[in-house]
Amino acid sequence: MIDGAAMPMGISPSHRIAFAVLGLVTVAIILELVRRDRLKERYALLWMGIAAGALVVGVFPEIIVKLSLLLRFQMITAMFVFSFLLTMAIILAFSVVISRLCEQNRKLTQEVALLAHTVKKLESSQ
Amino acid sequence: MSERVLVIIPAYNEAETIQEVVESIYALEGEYDVLVVNDGSSDETGTVVKGLDRAHLIELPYNLGIGSTMQTGFKYALRSGYGFAVQCDGDGQHPVDAIPALVERVQKGDADLVIGSRYVADTSYQPSFSRRVGKSLLSRLVDALIGGGITDTTSGFRCMNRKVLAVFAERYPEDYPEPESLVLLHRWGLRVVEIPVEMRPRQGGRSSISPRHAAYYMVKVALAIFVDMFRKFTQTTGDHS
Repeated sequence: MIDGAAMPMGISPSHRIAFAVLGLVTVAIILELVRRDRLKERYALLWMGIAAGALVVGVFPEIIVKLSLLLRFQMITAMFVFSFLLTMAIILAFSVVISRLCEQNRKLTQEVALLAHTVKKLESSQ
Repeated sequence: MSERVLVIIPAYNEAETIQEVVESIYALEGEYDVLVVNDGSSDETGTVVKGLDRAHLIELPYNLGIGSTMQTGFKYALRSGYGFAVQCDGDGQHPVDAIPALVERVQKGDADLVIGSRYVADTSYQPSFSRRVGKSLLSRLVDALIGGGITDTTSGFRCMNRKVLAVFAERYPEDYPEPESLVLLHRWGLRVVEIPVEMRPRQGGRSSISPRHAAYYMVKVALAIFVDMFRKFTQTTGDHS
């Protein structure tokens, strides 16, 4: 068995502080984007959740260690797998958002064209 | 119910042929209104249709694709109170003089949508090889799903009544819509029949389907149809104008 996962090797207090600061900066950037109306609250919440996750894992890396033990992965592999899955989940969520926007856009375009036709007919009948 | 018939022509860069098609519809016996839905053509299609006396013209602000273009026409037909709608290409391939036969078949009342089919006996239509393979596989799939009897599931030369218009106004596939739309109708319990028509070679412009697209077309439509099988359909009134 691989025993590299057993100890949270190389995670020093300064690492923890660095991760915590990174998480806090991310939260600050998101809040600022929302304040400037550049990011919708709905998506801000998604990113906040991710930032919070990064913060928690950064400060308590034991979580990753325990998970990697549980899954019998090396720690670095576990971290890679989790971040990959998370990234895919976000991209999928965005594809859903894009699909909805496409559908709304299609309906809107059709309505505009139909209305333009009605307007022209009304104008010519006056 | 209104007996008025609207012929819907989706047009994307059909300036060369559209006038002839529209005029040949007006030359038919019987009263047919014509609606051209211009799908953001980059040529003179819109200008040509504006110059035609009675034709209705709806211009999409940009290119939406064939499915959304047709759906715009279906919505228009439904809201304007037409009893029947005919779908006909603007490139001259569809034999306009077969329109009365299509309409008559729907008006008889034992079918909700009638397809003008290229493959039913006695037509000399010869599509390209890749198109033939793709279409026959797809046609078999669709035909099996809707219980048989349809050979030309991809034909875009069709006539329908208001029940079909209500379904299509609510939901219509975006590209390569015809086969999937038949499965939709089947799910709604609407009746589809086909009658033979003699197709002509296109009079101008270019086909929207290349061999490379044919593969995509197959997979995309098969996926859409597969997903549709697991989709719940909810009854809607259709008329919401």
